[in-house]
Amino acid sequence: MNEDYLWDKSGEPDPEIQELEEILGSLRYQPKRLDLLDNSQQTQRRSYVPLLAIAATLVIAALAGFFWLSYSHNQRQILTTTTTVAVAPTPAIPEVKKTNEVVKSTDTTPPQVTVAVNRHRRTLTKAAAPSKEAVLAKEQLMTALRLASEKLNLAQRKTQNPSVNQIRNQHKLG
Amino acid sequence: MRSLFRTFSTPALVALFLIAPAVTVSAQDPRIQLSHLDHLATRASQTVDVSVDERLIQLAAKVFNDKDEDEAQIKKLVSGLKGIYVKSFEFDNENEYSAADLDTIKSQLREPAWNRLVNVTSKREGNVEVYVSLVGGTVNGLTVLSAEPKELTVVNIVGPVDLEKLAKLEGSLGIPDLGIKSSKKPKDEQ
Repeated sequence: MNEDYLWDKSGEPDPEIQELEEILGSLRYQPKRLDLLDNSQQTQRRSYVPLLAIAATLVIAALAGFFWLSYSHNQRQILTTTTTVAVAPTPAIPEVKKTNEVVKSTDTTPPQVTVAVNRHRRTLTKAAAPSKEAVLAKEQLMTALRLASEKLNLAQRKTQNPSVNQIRNQHKLG
Repeated sequence: MRSLFRTFSTPALVALFLIAPAVTVSAQDPRIQLSHLDHLATRASQTVDVSVDERLIQLAAKVFNDKDEDEAQIKKLVSGLKGIYVKSFEFDNENEYSAADLDTIKSQLREPAWNRLVNVTSKREGNVEVYVSLVGGTVNGLTVLSAEPKELTVVNIVGPVDLEKLAKLEGSLGIPDLGIKSSKKPKDEQ
């Protein structure tokens, strides 16, 4: 039997082989135009997903960072003010109306107040956050009490130890 | 005459019933008006104007630290107060305020609502007057009027106040002791 048919289809064909050829022929390579555009579009669509995920993650991280910073900043401000009052509540008159201010040394806010507190974040979160209005009210209250106490003591001292002039005047009157 | 009396007696009684509670309320309210002194702010080198009502006092009381003895003491002192009002003016020169300015305050501090507790008069050092408003034997209000040559201060505290505790506050909790010693007299007086 000439087996050239299997090699280059030149010999006598074998009916079994022909039958197999017909069966498998449907699976034969059929050349068609390569559609690169469709493939590239699919690739592009696929590549957007991770990019979008990364972008969304970055945006969420940025937002979280912003809120955290603003929150910690507020906490720091509140606690700094509270610490000011607690450590050295100045009798100062700061929030009150002042005209042509001549500030005495006792009236200035001490500079030590600043910010060392910020590092103690646990303390910050645990501390109750008083409102600004409350701290301001406390300062005003302290100022008023200071003045009231000062003047009461002045009156008391003057009553207990009247000056020489008063005694002289009383003598003249008497 | 009787008809005239009958005509006017009913409206008079009605008016009396309407006015009497108002007078009683005003007599019990130991708050005085300090706004008459506002014009002095333009002449003053330093002005202190504090107005703390009951709501602000309660708000401030929350900030006080109960664990701190001094702060707890102050909190207790101010807990029942209904208001603290202060006006203080410091001037560069003497005679910047007039007697009329003082009269606007003194005219509100008349008996029976107010009783003058202390009156110290000194031409050189100025005058200090302490008035208290008494209701049922307890102090319901306090007004301190200090008129020094270059300084005018009015403190009006509304509500039950312990004068002894208030006087002791000076020198504690950031309220500086001014160190005014009674034994130290000015040279010109010696």
